[in-house]
Amino acid sequence: MEYVSPEGLRLDGRRPMEMRQLRAEIGAVAKADGSAVFEMGNTKVIAAVYGPREVQNRSQQMNDQALVRCEYSMANFSTGDRRRKPKGDRRSTEISLVIRQSMEACILTHLMPRSQIDIFVQVLQADGGTRSACINAATLALADAGIPMRDLVTSCSAGYLNTTPLLDLNYVEDSAGGPDVTVGILSKLDNVTLLQMDAKLPMDTFENVMQLAIEGCKAVANYIREVLQENTKQLEYRRGV
Amino acid sequence: MLQSKSFVRKTKGGKVLKVVREHYLRDDIYCGASFCKACDSSTARLSSTAATILIVDTNVVLNQIDLLENPAIDDVVVLSVVLEEVKNKNLGVYNRVRALCSNSMRKFFVFSNEYHKDTYVKAMAGESPNDRNDRGNGGSAIRVAAQWYQNHLGQGTHVLLITNDKENKRKATEEGIFAETVESYVKSLGLPGLLDLLVHPSSEDVGMEDVEDLRPLKRKVIYTEHKPMSEITSGLHRGIYHQGKLRVNRYNPFEAYVGSESIGDEIIVYGRANMNRAFDGDIVAVELLPQDQRHEKSLSIADEEDEEEEDVHLAPSSADAAPRVTNLVQGSAGDINPLSSRPSGRVVGIIKRNWHSYCGSLEPMPMPAGNGGVAHALFVSKDRRIPKIRIQTRQLGNLLDKRIIVAVDSWDCLSRYPSGHYVRTIGEIGDRDTESEVVLIENDIDARPFSSQVLACLPPLPWSVSSPDLANPIRQDLRHLCVFSVDPPDIADVTNFVHPGTPLDDEAAQRGTSVYLVERRIDMLPKPLTEDICSLRADVERLAFSVIWEMTPEAEIISTRYTKSVIKSCAALSYVEAQARMDDSRLMDQVTTDLRNMNALAKMMRLRRIARGALTLASAEVKFQIDTETHDPLDIGMYQIREANQMVEELMLAANVSVAEKILKHFPLCSLLRRHPSPTKEILEPLLRTAAAVGIDLDVTSSKALADSLDRAVGDDPYFNKLIRILVTRCMTQAVYFCSGDLSPPEFFHYGLAAALYTHFTSPIRRYADVIVHRLLAASLGIYKLPDIFQDRAQLTSISDNLNYRHRNAQMASRASVELHTVIYFRKRPTDTEARIVKIRSNGFIVFVPKYGIEGPVYLMARGEKGGGEWLVDEQQQKVKKIDGSISYGVLQTVRIHMEVVEPQPNRPKLQLTLDQGHVA
Amino acid sequence: MVGLSVGEKHFIQGGIAQDLRSDGRKRLTYRHIQVETGVIPQADGSARVKMGATDVIGSVKAELGKPNPLQPDKGKVSLYVDCSPTAAPMFEGRGGEELSTELSATLQRCLLGGKNGAGAGIDLSSLSIVEGKVCWDLYIDCLVVSSDGNLLDALGAAIKAALSNTGIPKVQVAAAVSSDGQPEVDVSDEEFLQFDTSGVPVIVTLTKVGRHYIVDATSEEESQMSSAVSVSINREGRICGLTKRGGAGLDPSIVLDMISVAKHVSEQLINKLDSEIAAAEACEEESGHG
Repeated sequence: MEYVSPEGLRLDGRRPMEMRQLRAEIGAVAKADGSAVFEMGNTKVIAAVYGPREVQNRSQQMNDQALVRCEYSMANFSTGDRRRKPKGDRRSTEISLVIRQSMEACILTHLMPRSQIDIFVQVLQADGGTRSACINAATLALADAGIPMRDLVTSCSAGYLNTTPLLDLNYVEDSAGGPDVTVGILSKLDNVTLLQMDAKLPMDTFENVMQLAIEGCKAVANYIREVLQENTKQLEYRRGV
Repeated sequence: MLQSKSFVRKTKGGKVLKVVREHYLRDDIYCGASFCKACDSSTARLSSTAATILIVDTNVVLNQIDLLENPAIDDVVVLSVVLEEVKNKNLGVYNRVRALCSNSMRKFFVFSNEYHKDTYVKAMAGESPNDRNDRGNGGSAIRVAAQWYQNHLGQGTHVLLITNDKENKRKATEEGIFAETVESYVKSLGLPGLLDLLVHPSSEDVGMEDVEDLRPLKRKVIYTEHKPMSEITSGLHRGIYHQGKLRVNRYNPFEAYVGSESIGDEIIVYGRANMNRAFDGDIVAVELLPQDQRHEKSLSIADEEDEEEEDVHLAPSSADAAPRVTNLVQGSAGDINPLSSRPSGRVVGIIKRNWHSYCGSLEPMPMPAGNGGVAHALFVSKDRRIPKIRIQTRQLGNLLDKRIIVAVDSWDCLSRYPSGHYVRTIGEIGDRDTESEVVLIENDIDARPFSSQVLACLPPLPWSVSSPDLANPIRQDLRHLCVFSVDPPDIADVTNFVHPGTPLDDEAAQRGTSVYLVERRIDMLPKPLTEDICSLRADVERLAFSVIWEMTPEAEIISTRYTKSVIKSCAALSYVEAQARMDDSRLMDQVTTDLRNMNALAKMMRLRRIARGALTLASAEVKFQIDTETHDPLDIGMYQIREANQMVEELMLAANVSVAEKILKHFPLCSLLRRHPSPTKEILEPLLRTAAAVGIDLDVTSSKALADSLDRAVGDDPYFNKLIRILVTRCMTQAVYFCSGDLSPPEFFHYGLAAALYTHFTSPIRRYADVIVHRLLAASLGIYKLPDIFQDRAQLTSISDNLNYRHRNAQMASRASVELHTVIYFRKRPTDTEARIVKIRSNGFIVFVPKYGIEGPVYLMARGEKGGGEWLVDEQQQKVKKIDGSISYGVLQTVRIHMEVVEPQPNRPKLQLTLDQGHVA
Repeated sequence: MVGLSVGEKHFIQGGIAQDLRSDGRKRLTYRHIQVETGVIPQADGSARVKMGATDVIGSVKAELGKPNPLQPDKGKVSLYVDCSPTAAPMFEGRGGEELSTELSATLQRCLLGGKNGAGAGIDLSSLSIVEGKVCWDLYIDCLVVSSDGNLLDALGAAIKAALSNTGIPKVQVAAAVSSDGQPEVDVSDEEFLQFDTSGVPVIVTLTKVGRHYIVDATSEEESQMSSAVSVSINREGRICGLTKRGGAGLDPSIVLDMISVAKHVSEQLINKLDSEIAAAEACEEESGHG
C-alpha cells in the first residue's frame, strides 16, 4: 500500500511533515470548572475538569498534594463501526492512566493539598491520535479551570511508513501496521513526559520519528498558547478591562 | 510546520460502514512546466520550449501505453486522478506509466489535481449514470484540470486534452478546451510508423474513420459471453464459480489449469472454447463441468483447431520446466486413470487480465493488394501458451521476416483470435542476436547496461584493500593462511560494496541473479565488482566473508565461526586444474595436499549426507564450445562432473547449511531460506508407471527410500541408472526462496538435500539471495545493523517472490538459449545418433538424446492418422507395436535417430528427429 | 448533588411562584435552543442540541439486520443514552448508568411506541428491505456532554434532529437468492433515503415545583421538584408516550391539566425545533459544499 505518493503527498493530501488541521474551543461544558474541545483533523475530544475540590473518597486524600484523577471514555458513535463498549476496559484504563500521569507532571499539585482534581475526557470522534488529542484537550481544560501548572503538556504522534517519517497519523495510516510513536512534552521545559511506541523500529530511524513527533508537540503548544491568549483577551474584553 | 490552507471532507459510503476521510487541498502543487513563472520549477518536468502540453485521460493511458512509451510523445501531464484509476484497473500499466513519469529522459509530469485547491472536483450527489461513467474516466476532473492548465499557462501554450471518449471530447469542446482523439493527434504528428502502435478503439469511442471490419457479415459468436462482474461475485460467493489464476500448459496450449482455493484442487480447462479467451496468468472465474461432459471434452481437443506440432526442445531438468501430463494417451486408452477424477471446468469470466506484450512473428501471408497499405495479419507468439493475435499494420512487407513485439488490446466473443497492435521490431528471424534478445524479453530479463547512478555506487578503481579495512575490528586478517579457490569466485564480501538502499542495491535486487546464456552472461552486478573487486584472484588481497570450521578427521564439525576477513589467495584454480592436481600423484605441494585432505573430508560429508537420504540426482546439462569469432557453436557435449566439482559442492552445501542455522537462530521471522518441497504423488505417478514398465520398483515414500531404490535401479547398460536419475530429477519441483516468517519450521525442509534448513550464501556476486543472507549473517554477528527492509515482512516476501521469479526466468532463458544454439549447431550438421525413448505416444514416442541433452517427438506415422493405422499402443507395458507384431518400441529402449534442421515454412527453421529405420537397437 | 442553601431554595421556589424564574424566564418558556446537525460525520445522521448549559448529542447509525420474526415487515430501532462524566463527576465509572438506563427507557417509551412498534415516531415498515429476511437496524446513540437539567426534552430534540439528518443508503436486492436463503443486498454509494420525521414527537417535561409547573427546568430547579411528567406529543397533538417521575403523588386532574399544558407548549416547541433543524441543515449544507 502506498501511503506517500511519489509526489510526496499522503492519502489525505498532507505532506509527510504536516499536521492535520487543529481546532480548539474553550469552555464547552458550562457546568465544569474548566473544559475544552480539541480537534486534530477528524479526531475530536472533549475534556472537562472538576476541581480542585474536596476529596470525595477520604481514604485517597493526600496531605501534601492534590489527588489527580482521570477518566477516558469513547462515545459509541466515535468509531466507524458502532460498538457498545463496556466502560473501564483495559484500553481506556490504560489511556486514563497515561493522561493522568502526563497531567500530574505539569500540575503544581503541592499547592493544593487535600484536594481533588478530576479530568474527564470524552472521545466524540476517533480518527487516529486520540491519546494525543485527549492530552491536548486536558491541558486546555486545566488551563481554563485555572489550575496552576508549571508548563503546558502537549502531545502528538508520528509514524514511519513507506520508509518516510510521517507526522500525526490518521486512522488509515495508524492501521497500516507501522510503528506509532506518541510523544508528550512539557513545551517550555523541553522535557518529554510521555513516550510510547508499538512495533519495531531501528534505533536511528526511531530518533528521527521521535524528533518529528516532538516538533509536532511544539507546534501544538504554540497553537494552544494562541488559543489561550485569545481566550484571555476575550475575557478581558468582557470584563471591560 | 505548514498548515493546509483549507480542507473539504470527502465522504465515501462504503457498504454500510460510513467512512469519513479528510482531504486537504493545497496551494503548493505546481504545474511542472519549467517556463512557468508562477510555480516553483525545481520539480518541473515539462520541457522549457513545450508549445503543446498533452493531458491524457484514463483510457488513453490504459490502452495506448505503448504509444506513450514512444519517445515521439512527450510533454505529457498525467493527473493523479488518472493514475489512481489506472492503478485500480491495471497495475502493470500503472507501473509502466509511473516509470515514464520518473524517467529523466522523458517529459512526463504528475499533477496531483485532486489535492490542488483549484482543480479539486467533488464527487457530486445525484449525477446521472452517464456522468458517472464519465467520471470513471478522469471525466469532469480532467476537464477542470485541462482548463486550469490553459488558464495558468496562458495563450502561449497549447493545452490539448487527449481522449477517445466521445462524450468527454464533446463536453471539453463545449467548455472551450482543445481536445483531440489519440488517432487524430498521432496523425497530426506526421509519423506514420506511430499509427501501428495505436490500439483500435471499441465501438463506444470515437470511431476511426478508415478502419473497416474484415468480415463484417460473417461475424458469428465463437465464444460464450463473459458473465457480468456482479454475477461472478455472487457466483463465487455461492460457491458455483471458482476463482484462480489460469496456467496454460507450456507444451499444450489447449490445456490449462486453474488452482482453486475454494475446492482445494486444480481445475483442468480443456480447449480454447472452455478457456473462453482467458490468457495464461489471468485471474478467472471457472464453472465446473458436469462429470459426463468431462471425458468427451478431453477427446475433442485435437479437432478443435489445427493442432500445433510439438517441437524438439531441451530435456527438462525439473518438474517446472517439464511438460505437464497430457491426457491424449490415457483418453484413448479409455481405462480409469487417476486424472479423470480431477475436476474440469470452463471459464465464465475474467476477473483480472494478465495481458502484456509478446515476442513472436507474423504468420506468413501474401501481401494484400490495395487497402491503403493497411494489412491485417496474424501474429504467432514465441510463447506457445499465447494464442495467435490479430494485428493491423502499414508495414507488412517490412515485418514478415522479423521478430516483433505485439501487445494485446481486446478479445471479443465474435472473433477467434484476440486483437492487438504492433509495438516494435527486434530484428530478423533466425538471426542469433535477435533470437537471443527474444529469449531475454520473453523471460523478462533486463540486459541493459548499468545506469550511471548504479555505476556511481562503485568504489573508485583501481581498488585495493586499504588500511582502514585492515584496521577494522570486525574484519579478521587471514592473509597468513593458505587460502585458495576452486572455480567459483565465491564468498567475496560483496555487501561491503553493495549497500542497502543504493541504486546499485536496487538494481541487483531487481535483477535477482546473473543470467547465463550460451554466448553471453548478463551480470547482476557491474563488471568491476564481478571481475575485479569481488573476484578472489590469486596473489591479490581481497575482502571475504568466511565460514571457518574446525573438523575432526572424520569430518565431524567441532565448531563453526563466521567472520568478515581479508585473504590473499595463493591459487585460483578451475575445476579441471584442481582435479588434475589431485590426480597427479607427483605433486606434493601445500595446495595439492590441502586439496586432497579437503576432498577426503568432503567425501565423508557426502556419504553422511547420502545416508541421511539426500538424493543423488542427475541432469543432462550440455556444454557448447563457441567460436570466439562468430559466436556460433562449434561443438556440444555433456557437461562432465568431476570429483573436484563434488568437493566444492559439498563444502558449499555445508557452508549454506551452517549459515542458514545461524541466521534463523537470530532472526526467526525474517530470514531468507531456501526450501524444496517433496514431490507430490501426482507428479511422480507417470514416472512410477514408466519404471514399473521396465520392471523397476521405485519407493517414493521418503527421499531416503527413493535414494535407496535409485541405487538399486541398475539395468542392462551403464547409462540406465543415470537415465532413471535424470527422469526422477525432472519430476522434482524447483527449490524456492522464502521468508522464514511466512511458513512453519516443518515446511522449511529441503527434500533434495535432506536438510532441515538451507539457504544460499556462497555466491553473492551472482545471486541477490546471497547478498541478503550476507546482510543477515553480518547482523547476526552484531557487526552491522539489519537494514530497515527486514522489518517489513510483506516486503521481504515480495523480495523472495521476485527472486524465485528471476531464478526461474534465468533458468528458462538459459534453456532457451541452449535450444537456440542447438538449432544453430545442427543447421549445418545433420547428425545420426543414439536416443532413448522416454514416453510412448499414440502416434510415436518422445525420445531423449543424451549426447545433446535434448528431447523431442519421433513420429511413426504421418500426422493426422494418429491412434489408428498399423500401430498399437500398450499403455500397461508402455510399448507401441506394429499390428503385425513385427516391430515394437518400449519405454527406455535405445533407438538410432537422425537429426536435421528443416524449414517447413520460410524463416521458421526447426529441428526434426526421425527414426533411423535400419538401426533399431 | 446540587448543594443549595435554604435561601437559594426559597429564591428559586419564590421565583417560580411569581412566574419570574431565577434566570429571568417565565414558567413556560424554554431556554435558547441551539441545533447543529451532522456533527458526527461517520454516523448516518447526527445532531447536537444545546438548551442553555445542557448539551447532548444524538447519532443514528443504520446496519443491515434480520427482522424480528413476529414483525417480519418492520425494521428495528434501538436506543441508548450514555452520560459522559464530562457532564458531571457523579457519572464517573458506573455512576451514570442508573440515569442512562432511566433516560433510555423513557425515550424508548416516548419515541418508539409499544412492543409491537405501533405508534413509533418513525414508520418502522420503511426500514424493511426484504420481508422476513433483511431490514435496517437503526441504532440511536445519545451522549450527554453537559447537563443542566431537562435532559429528556433535549435528548428527544436531538434524536428528532438526528433522524431528520439521517440518510440511509438506497438498497438494491439482487434477483438471485443464494442457497442459504439470505438475499444478496447491494448498498448504493450515492443515493440516500431520507426519513419522514414529521411524525416524530417532541418531549415536553413539566416539572412541578410547589404548586406550579415549569418547562425546561435547570438542575437547580429540578432539585426542588416534587414530581415531573414527561409527555411526548406529535405534530397532530397526539400523545405518544408519557412518564411520571418523582416520588410525590399527583391528583389525576392535575396530571390531565399538565398534559393539556404540555400539548399547548409542544406546538411552539415543534415549530421552534423544526425551524432550528432546517436552519442547521442549511448551515451544514453550506459548509459541506463550500
